[in-house]
Amino acid sequence: MNEISVKLRVWRQASADAEGKLQDYKVENVVPDMSFLEMLDVLNEGLARRGEDVIAFDSDCREGICGCCSLTINGVPHGRGTGKTTCQLYMRDFADGETITVEPFRAKAFPVVKDLVVDRSAFDGIMAAGGYVSVNTGAAPDGNQIAIGKDIADKAFDAAACIGCGACVAACKNAAAFLFVGAKVTQLALLPQGHPERERRVIRMVDTMEEAGFGNCTNEAECEAVCPKEISTAHITKLNREYARALLKLS
Amino acid sequence: MGATGLSLIAFLIGHVSGNLLIFAGEHAFNAYGHALISNPMIYVAEAGLLLLFVSHFVTGIVLTKENRDARPIGYQRNDRAGGASRKSLASTTMILSGLVLLAFVPLHVNAFKFGAFYESAAEPGVRDLRRLVIETFSAPAYTAGYVIVLAIIGFHLWHGFGSAFESLGVGYSKALKRFGQALALIITVAFISIPLVIYLSEGAL
Amino acid sequence: MILDGKVPSGPIDSRWDRHKRDMLLVNPANRRKFNVIVVGTGLAGASAAASLGEMGYNVKAFTILDSPRRSHSIAAQGGINAAKNYKNDGDSVYRLFYDTVKGGDYRARESNVHRLAEVSVDIIDQCVAQGVPFAREYGGMLDNRSFGGAQVSRTFYARGQTGQQLLLGAYSALMRQVDAGTVKIFARREMLDLVVANGKARGIVCRNLVNGKMERYVADAVLLCTGGYGNAYYLSTNAGNSNVTAAWRCARRGAYFANPCFVQIHPTCIPVSGSHQSKLTLMSESLRNDGRVWVPKNADDKRPANEIPEEDRDYYLERRYPAFGNLVPRDVASRNAKVVCDEGRGVGATGRAVYLDFTDAIERLGEDAIRDRYGNLFAMYEHIADEDPYKAPMRIYPAVHYTMGGLWVDYHLMSNIPGLFVLGEANFSDHGANRLGASALMQGLADGYFVIPYTLANYLGGAKLDALSTDHDSFAEAQNSVSERINKLLAVNGARTVTEFHRELGQILWDKVGMSRKQDTLHEALDEVRKLRDEYAQNVKVVGRSDDLNRQMEVALRVDDYMEFAEMLVSDALDRDESCGCHFREEHQTDDGECMRNDERYSYVAAWEFKGRNAKPELHKEQLEFKFAEVKQRSYK
Repeated sequence: MNEISVKLRVWRQASADAEGKLQDYKVENVVPDMSFLEMLDVLNEGLARRGEDVIAFDSDCREGICGCCSLTINGVPHGRGTGKTTCQLYMRDFADGETITVEPFRAKAFPVVKDLVVDRSAFDGIMAAGGYVSVNTGAAPDGNQIAIGKDIADKAFDAAACIGCGACVAACKNAAAFLFVGAKVTQLALLPQGHPERERRVIRMVDTMEEAGFGNCTNEAECEAVCPKEISTAHITKLNREYARALLKLS
Repeated sequence: MGATGLSLIAFLIGHVSGNLLIFAGEHAFNAYGHALISNPMIYVAEAGLLLLFVSHFVTGIVLTKENRDARPIGYQRNDRAGGASRKSLASTTMILSGLVLLAFVPLHVNAFKFGAFYESAAEPGVRDLRRLVIETFSAPAYTAGYVIVLAIIGFHLWHGFGSAFESLGVGYSKALKRFGQALALIITVAFISIPLVIYLSEGAL
Repeated sequence: MILDGKVPSGPIDSRWDRHKRDMLLVNPANRRKFNVIVVGTGLAGASAAASLGEMGYNVKAFTILDSPRRSHSIAAQGGINAAKNYKNDGDSVYRLFYDTVKGGDYRARESNVHRLAEVSVDIIDQCVAQGVPFAREYGGMLDNRSFGGAQVSRTFYARGQTGQQLLLGAYSALMRQVDAGTVKIFARREMLDLVVANGKARGIVCRNLVNGKMERYVADAVLLCTGGYGNAYYLSTNAGNSNVTAAWRCARRGAYFANPCFVQIHPTCIPVSGSHQSKLTLMSESLRNDGRVWVPKNADDKRPANEIPEEDRDYYLERRYPAFGNLVPRDVASRNAKVVCDEGRGVGATGRAVYLDFTDAIERLGEDAIRDRYGNLFAMYEHIADEDPYKAPMRIYPAVHYTMGGLWVDYHLMSNIPGLFVLGEANFSDHGANRLGASALMQGLADGYFVIPYTLANYLGGAKLDALSTDHDSFAEAQNSVSERINKLLAVNGARTVTEFHRELGQILWDKVGMSRKQDTLHEALDEVRKLRDEYAQNVKVVGRSDDLNRQMEVALRVDDYMEFAEMLVSDALDRDESCGCHFREEHQTDDGECMRNDERYSYVAAWEFKGRNAKPELHKEQLEFKFAEVKQRSYK
């Protein structure tokens, strides 16, 4: 296979408080079958050999499910293409000699930790505010006691497929987290197990989301376009509906 | 935003329907205007409308401020994602088109509601709004400005109509979006047709 | 020394129930006075931390990642076993127990396995109650599929993302406890030492991965839930951050490491494509429900798969194992793939791959049905291999996946260091020499949800624990030793990068302690590992500072531990002079190439005690008894 070379412009920032800037690198001998992150590994290996500080970026499973990777590549979170995380982006999608800009996910609620590493703990905060069914270990009835139709189970799964990577926030011009919150609220609103605390959940999760500094949804669906699990904005509409329903019910 | 926006769209539909009566002759138009302003409920309606406008603008500005604050450091390179994205020039400039309308509405109200009071020659006691409209739109600069602003309203609605249904939790569908865009186009064309016909026919409507 | 697993007596099917009645309890009002450290937040860690939090203990949960939700349990695809017998096909707790003991080639502890099978049914109920969207039938009942090594359908699943859904369930329960104030999460922390004071595990020393600061945490018990050590092989299906360090540091503090040579090599992974490769990707075993494994009959047949007619294909698993066919256990499937590739019949550019073909299933069920079952797996394959598996068969090859070995624990999941409990993949107890598919998720959650809440109470209820603060000498000593290691590594400033060393170590282990092993090459491996370890200490280059987010240094510390650990792994493979499960010693095979166990001599758990960097580890044995599962030569024919 023909090797290619690419020019990278990578965001380097020494720490959370430091100033950052784009820095240029050239990577030679890139094999098209390399994933984008493996290409960065090669670059880092070269930097390490020269005694330079390597580029920090998050990655773990490298098969598109952990949600660690958080790179905006050429202005699009996880790079161009549907249903992919950064680790599922391959160099065969780039041209020989291409200049590629690599930046961290940007949002006030996702402050940069170092280089391309961001802090997404705001998502954990939202989850702690209600992204669960309050059932203690050992208190569960038989799994087949409540029948759940296949269509409902499938829809709940579609919502539950969210990997919490935050690309939705990164892509949104408002840095809104509606798709993330909408997916979880929808999953638990669809399933009977989630019904007893349905209103409390949506109100608390939305309030926490707002306090964390995420923006508001203006229905432009960039989030859906970049979501590695292709979660639909229908979940945002459902979130809005659930929120309105909760306000009515609680008032 | 969704609720106030849709209410305002409903108002616009009413507004433009009334306006179009101008093509139905002097009597129809002026009688319609008279019926409106002579009804004591007009003050309630106007107050309601003002409230809608103000809350739509205020919420819009506050939310936009929040949205800008949500990303203090932007991207050096920012591309559209394509695919499922519905981002458009209209959707990304809602605040700008909105601000234009914010500036336009007082001028517009001043030009017509508080404009010259002509009494209808045919029907004494009735305000001859038709004359005022024809006179106003005979001025090329005003007409040009009006046409541009109305095009911006259409642009605002282009994204706003469909978006409102999503915000209200009704849902998104391609058909609804297309309907909204068609509606935006119809409203704009209907509004613009009046000054254009007046201007092009040199007031001989 | 002969180890005691502290297994209760009596009939196996009521052992756990009776033992639960006998164990000590901690009064609800007293629980918040106990501090519990949980290291790792995968299925075992998250479920344990959440359950203990619910009970009222004061829990601190540590994760190396930025959020508990990202732990590598999330990548498990295929499913989770439970003896529900919803399919009415003859399943029972006993059968799950028996399949697991047999699947593990009679090298697991019988009592633990039975307990696992018992609580398997509770796990499903718990997860359903949490809102885990398991696959359902049209009538609304839970759906099942089959996995390798079983002749019943007992695997519950959520498309090809079961691990993700189960982990998110446990993570949700955990976040609920964070909200309730019983659990505090410490993210981006790496445990670098265990603190043992007065003979009991009392805390940990961590490095804050963001700023490099050393942190000390004291507790009444430490739960280690840090997964397996597959990444010792460099290339594996494990995540980049999965590592042996936390477990190895406990081993260095005196915890015994059991059966380290039991490493599962999973048959269905996407083959290696080049030296740049950072990891291997698993294709769920569930694919073998509908996919047929084959290679060309003739080594010189280089035609594309679709052009090879039926009569020139060798469906070697179906041919050799008519009863189980493509659903033989993982060790058997892997070894057979290796054999056909060694014969020169492998496919693809490297010749180290076999076909997994869905043509028949697509013809029989339609493309939509296949998409519904495996859609995400097919998409994943297409991303990586750049080839449409609906049109051409997948190419697969075995890869290191799971480690059955781990820290030695007794029936209470407590290691030989009092107060140190080990859960999930990090312990050794349930899978013997080979783990059956869909059993890892089951074990992680069984340990966390249903075992540790009882056994931890039993320990805390009976232990006499002194008041201890992080100022204690034991903490200072542990922290100093960590800092010393870090400074030493940074000071080497040699010529080779950490990754180069890691890759080389992995190659040694893969070639000589992989799918088949033999005495002479194991001896070679031992020499090579020692040599590499010495070179590492002299010639590694680690850049950056210690007081910064420094990935190079994080990995350097882990590779340093792999180097020491690998020696124990090879020693164990050498000591076990028999073939069993994944551990295939070429010297011990039947005429048709199957494993030949030696129950008389090797029916024991090999628990190794670390004796220093250049000393031979000491072997302790726990004798295994099989009173309830009939010991047989394993056959899937």
